[in-house]
Amino acid sequence: MKCAVDIESRDVEEMYINIDPIQAGGRLTADAMKAAISFGDGYSVCDNCRSPFRLDYIQKPPIAQFHADLAAWLNMDAARVVPGARRGFQAVASTYVGKGDPVIVTALAHYTEFMAVEEAGGIPLEIPKDTANHITPDAAAEKIEAVIREFSRTPPLLFIDHVDYQFGNVHDVAGIAKVAHQYDIPVLVNGAYTVGIMPVDGKMLGADFVVGSGHKSMAAPAPSGVLATTEEHAGRVFRTTQAKGDVTGRTFGLKEVEMMGCTLMGVTVVGMMASFPHVRERVQHWETEVAHSQAVVDALLSIEGTKVLSDYPRQHTLTRIDTRESFDAVAQQHKKRGYFLSGELKKRGITGVIPGSTKVWKFNTFGLTEKQIRHVGESVVGIARENGLNIL
Amino acid sequence: MSKRAVDAVFQALFILSDLRFLLRETAPQHDLDEAQRERAATSLEKVKRQIAILEEEMVR
Repeated sequence: MKCAVDIESRDVEEMYINIDPIQAGGRLTADAMKAAISFGDGYSVCDNCRSPFRLDYIQKPPIAQFHADLAAWLNMDAARVVPGARRGFQAVASTYVGKGDPVIVTALAHYTEFMAVEEAGGIPLEIPKDTANHITPDAAAEKIEAVIREFSRTPPLLFIDHVDYQFGNVHDVAGIAKVAHQYDIPVLVNGAYTVGIMPVDGKMLGADFVVGSGHKSMAAPAPSGVLATTEEHAGRVFRTTQAKGDVTGRTFGLKEVEMMGCTLMGVTVVGMMASFPHVRERVQHWETEVAHSQAVVDALLSIEGTKVLSDYPRQHTLTRIDTRESFDAVAQQHKKRGYFLSGELKKRGITGVIPGSTKVWKFNTFGLTEKQIRHVGESVVGIARENGLNIL
Repeated sequence: MSKRAVDAVFQALFILSDLRFLLRETAPQHDLDEAQRERAATSLEKVKRQIAILEEEMVR
């Protein structure tokens, strides 16, 4: 079925259980779908924009209140919606990083953090991960010392992923922030895999900036996200324009430079807002989500030869699994080669595993029902059994 | 007629969104339990009412 000329309708979420690692937390709520129907037009939230003309001042729909609620929910002092977490990184890097500045990232940092630093003219330098795939406060301290020795200056910013995208491991952000603050380095917490799916308290983490992704973890349309900060930093990162036209003499009021004036002007912000009550509620059930994740991991681990590369027991719904000695061994002999696994999963109504992957792959169980979790677990075991693998 | 018809279009789309969500919750077998079937039936009744309004307002 086509939804427009040459565009097939997307019914992946209706037809399958989707365990794609990046898509799970961004699935819309029913309310966000309704908001998308209502606010699909380009500048749809601007009907009631009144002086001073800025997105975060709009009262109807209640975007101003949403901004205040977002900040409070993250236990931060100020928040802005942004077009994706990456634009949050960019706003902060553009404000704090100068040409040639060393900036601390990690060996598990998302590529967009590197790009934000690069665009600002900085030099990204990674805190190495340990053998358990963790970024530790000790490693952060060692890296900061080494960077100061090499550059003879203190890095203006440190990025740390609350949960990394490679393993879905939870890192000691509070410990790392404590170290960074001993050197007066502001800390940006990348909460793309936490804000909206598990409880996040910015102050408790010691964050100077918390960045979240609407489309990855807040059940919102893309591109959307949030940048929250403290009173100390808000004036700087959310500074207003001083620009003046030399011919016209025009000035631009309270527009914020890093936000390029306004950010999410339609379906994105209203979708975030519509999902927000559900998101606020669902983070309270994080333990159930983790238990679901654990159940699927345990089903996989019951297949002889399978290993989990993420922390075990699981503390998150994103997991990296190693099936080189189980499903990949089957793939070597199978007529469909590596495609057999995604094919077999699809036959059972499960999608989201990259076709061809049988070695090391990731999946995310966030948001699935108990019944769906059971189906995924039984399916992987069933596929293994049908292909001659031992079940422990 | 216009406001009533517009409201009915939105209402119908919103109710259909609830049904869409139900299909997501029950994928891939869509084997609905009793409570889910009841939800579906209620939604379908509501959609029919909105369609009836649209027929009254736009077709007759």
